[in-house]
Formats: sequence, C-alpha cells, structure tokens
Amino acid sequence: MSADIILQISSSFQHCLKVYSICVTWNASEYPGTNLTFLQKLSSNEAYRPCSKYTLQQGYTAGCLLEVEKDEVLYFSIRNGTHPLLSKSLWISSYLKPRSLSDLSFQWHQGAVTVTCSDLWYKGLVYEIQHKSTFDAEWQSKEAKTCNVTLDSLDAEKCYFFRARVKTLESSYGSDTYPSDWSEVIRQQRGKLTDLCQEKS
Amino acid sequence: YNFTDCDFKNIKDIYQDVIHPELNVYINGVSEETFLKCIFIPDCLIKIEHFTFKPIYGCASLAKETFAKQTNATLSLGCSGYSGIQINNTQTMKKRRKREVKTDKCLEQVSYLIELWRRFSRIS
Amino acid sequence: ESGYAENGDFDDAEMDDYSFSCYSQLEVDGSQHLLTCAFDDPDINSTNMEFEICGALLEVDCLSFNKLQGVYLIKTKKFLLIGDSKICVKLGRKSMTCKKMNIVKIVKPEAPFDIRVVYRKGANDFEVTFNTSHLQKKYVKELMHEVAYRQEKSENDWMHMNLSSTKLMLLQRKLQPNAMYEIKVRSIPNTNYFEGFWSEWSPSFHFRTPETNGPGEMD
Repeated sequence: MSADIILQISSSFQHCLKVYSICVTWNASEYPGTNLTFLQKLSSNEAYRPCSKYTLQQGYTAGCLLEVEKDEVLYFSIRNGTHPLLSKSLWISSYLKPRSLSDLSFQWHQGAVTVTCSDLWYKGLVYEIQHKSTFDAEWQSKEAKTCNVTLDSLDAEKCYFFRARVKTLESSYGSDTYPSDWSEVIRQQRGKLTDLCQEKS
Repeated sequence: YNFTDCDFKNIKDIYQDVIHPELNVYINGVSEETFLKCIFIPDCLIKIEHFTFKPIYGCASLAKETFAKQTNATLSLGCSGYSGIQINNTQTMKKRRKREVKTDKCLEQVSYLIELWRRFSRIS
Repeated sequence: ESGYAENGDFDDAEMDDYSFSCYSQLEVDGSQHLLTCAFDDPDINSTNMEFEICGALLEVDCLSFNKLQGVYLIKTKKFLLIGDSKICVKLGRKSMTCKKMNIVKIVKPEAPFDIRVVYRKGANDFEVTFNTSHLQKKYVKELMHEVAYRQEKSENDWMHMNLSSTKLMLLQRKLQPNAMYEIKVRSIPNTNYFEGFWSEWSPSFHFRTPETNGPGEMD
C-alpha cells in the first residue's frame, strides 16, 4: 500500500437488502485539493468501473460507497487522474463490521440467565454478552461461538444491565475487521424487563 | 488429490486451535500486503497444500516448519485417501542444523497461507 | 486411551500388570510441553522399566522418558499435537505393553491460583476471583472451572459451581452468618479440540461471613 494514502475500509451486511455495503475512505494528505478517482471491479478479468457514489470531504472525493450481493473479492484502484496511487484486492468480508444484535431474549433459571439471539448467517463469529449489576463498576464479559450464553452466579433480586455485540474470529477474518456496535442496554430484575435500575456505584 | 472427501469440521477445529497459533508464531507480527483468492473449500485446501509444500525460488524450506508438519498430519487424518507429503524426520534434522534465515519470500508464502486458511475457515 | 499389549512375546502368566496412565500439560514452561506417565500399580517393581513415545512427533520418530521418583516425564517442544502416538513400557528392548494415546486428548491444565473473596456489603454478596496461567497460552486457552466451597466445620458438604470466567458472586443469603468458609477451584479443558482431565485444586482460601447485619471479617 502506498505509504501516503491511509485507507479505512468497512463492510457490513444489510440483512433486509441482502447486500454487503462497503465504505472505502482514504486520507491522501499529499494530494490536497485533488479529486482522486476510485475504480473497482469484482473479477480480475473485468474492466474497472468508476465509483458511482463518492463521499466528499471539503468538497473533494474522500471515499466510495458500494454494494455487493455476496462476499466477493473487491479489486480497486485509487488514481490521481490516470496515475494509479494505490491498487489493492481483498475479500469484502475481511473488513467486515457485523450488524448489531437486536433480538436478545432472556431465560432466568436458579441464579443464572441464558441470553439468546438469532445467529448471524456467516461463520467465524464470537458473540459477546456483557452484564453488570448496580453494584458493579465494570461490565463482565462472556463469549461464545453461538448466540446462546449462560451467565452464572447472578442474584435475581438485583437489577442487572445487559448488552451484546458480535466480533469476528481473527483466525477466520484477520485483524482488519470491526466489532459490531453494542446492542441497546437491557435492564432486568427478578427475571423481568425493567426501566428502574439506578446506577449505585 | 482433490480434497473433496474430507472432514472439513475436524480440519477447521485443528486449524483454529493448533495451526493458526503456529502460523502466527512464524509470521511474528510481520504484515505482508499479499492477496490470494480461493473460492470453494477444496480449492482452498489444494492451494494450502501447494503453498505449504511446494518449494519455490527464494523459499525452499517451509515443509519442515512446525505448521507445515501439522498441516500434513491434519490433511492426512482429515481426508480419506490422502497420503500426505513424505517429510523425512532425520533429513529435516540435518537441514535444521544449518538453519535457513526466514526469507522475505517465505514470509510472503506464509501470508498467502494465512489468507487461504482464513477463507477456508469462513466458508467451512 | 485404548490399551493393548505388544503381540505374542510373553505368556500371560509371566506378564505383570504394567498398566499405566498419562497426562499432558501444554506450554507448561514457555513453549515446552510436559508429558507425565505412571504405573497404575504404585507397588510395581519398576527397576529397569523405561517408557517411550513414538509417533505424532516433530523431527524425531520416538522420544524416551526420564524417570523421577517412580514417575516418567518428558519435557519437549516436539509434540505435533495432531494424531495418535504410541506409548510403550519397555524392559530393555522389549515392549511389555503399549497404549495408543493422543496428546491433545489427555490434557491436564495447570491449577488455578490466587483465589480471593471480597465481601460487598451493599450488594450482600461475596465477589470470588481467581487466576489461571492458561489465559496467556497459545493452545489450551479455553477452560471450564469448578469452584467448590464449604463451611469449614461440615467436612464433606461441598457446594459446586461451574463457570468459564474467572469471577463469580456468592450470595450472602445462601451462606451461614458468622461462619468460616473454605473455597477452592480447579479447571478442565473446554474446547472442541483439546480435552482431558481436571487440574489439581487451587490452594484454598478461607473467609468468615459477617454476622447477619454486622461487618464481615476477612481472613
């Protein structure tokens, strides 16, 4: 990668649209006031196509948004006019940012709670559930390879905060991915949803 | 060998728990700008075997690395009819004595392997 | 582990019972692994008896064990960690009995340590934390832990809890007030690939529960 162009790439899968949306942004401080062009293709023997949806910064191209139906190899080139500054190819999924989890459900049983949600369809993910009571200063984490995590030694009398997110396994995706955003924080007391938890500590 | 008749789950478990940590030991944080594509699972394993065991100019020694022997054992155990690559232990000891420096070409080869294994792990 | 004697060398009558058991500890000393074997019969006459492992090794075909007070040990980096090995009891060059074993299926984790209990007055509970060397390892990183606690005066009335993290809460209302408790923890591999046995118990920690409403006294 050319040292003077700093890339940021993230891809997320839009479940309702069934497409990957990819956001490539670049910081080309050595080319101020220049509209760099972004060309891309999905097969090595195709011709490059120009970006159809640029993002701008101070009126100049600074990124490209694109959508792809499945996990493919993206070949792209960033150019100053016709002069290529950086060319790269990558699996879209290796820059994956999974979507955040929304459908968490809780099953309380004897001082433990099992948190479940529907697994995302792609593999090599780790589901992280965090919890804390109003007496705890920090979140406590537990991870599992499916969205079915049992948290032990809880006191049903206490009020607990829960949140969840998805991370990718480094052995499957490498280290350029992003964890999903945290789910909304959910409060539970005596096995029921509640809004009344006040932070004590 | 076309790597279609294999226990992909078992191979994936061994890759994630044994081979992946060993590849990280070899690459030791060096990040190479490499990219190599494999689409389907057998295609990935064919390329993994090729890049692990086929000596090339500038990197003739990967076959004796720990991750390579682990890959050899994994494919032999996981794929029926696959007899693996013959790596003579004693011959490796002689070669190991005049330890070959980890060449850039070998680091590049291992970066390809990491990409291929990751892809295999995502789709199996 | 399936055990089998070497075929046909001895009449059954002549053969003592050379059955043995082994366990492995991975990355017990840096990247060195440790394999420990011992005869199941502690009273067996093990003079001139040697152990040897062959197969699923790096760079060598076989390795011999060292003998230390009746226990046979190998500390090495040469375990391939894939596939079966054959471990034999040898008398001179004769194999008395052999077993097929897979190093990654007989893993005995190192015992957890640093178990502590902190009373949390406001929360009416006890925060139990402990440490394990396995968090820093390359291979056997995921463990299941078993915490056991009892009132010191009730000999065998242990309560048990399984968890995969290294922190748990004991509820004050579930313990006797103003009583001395003992608590300890052990671990077992908890991954798809590595399996094995419970570790030794950690050293115990002793703590006293507060009187029903008074401040708790710690050990």
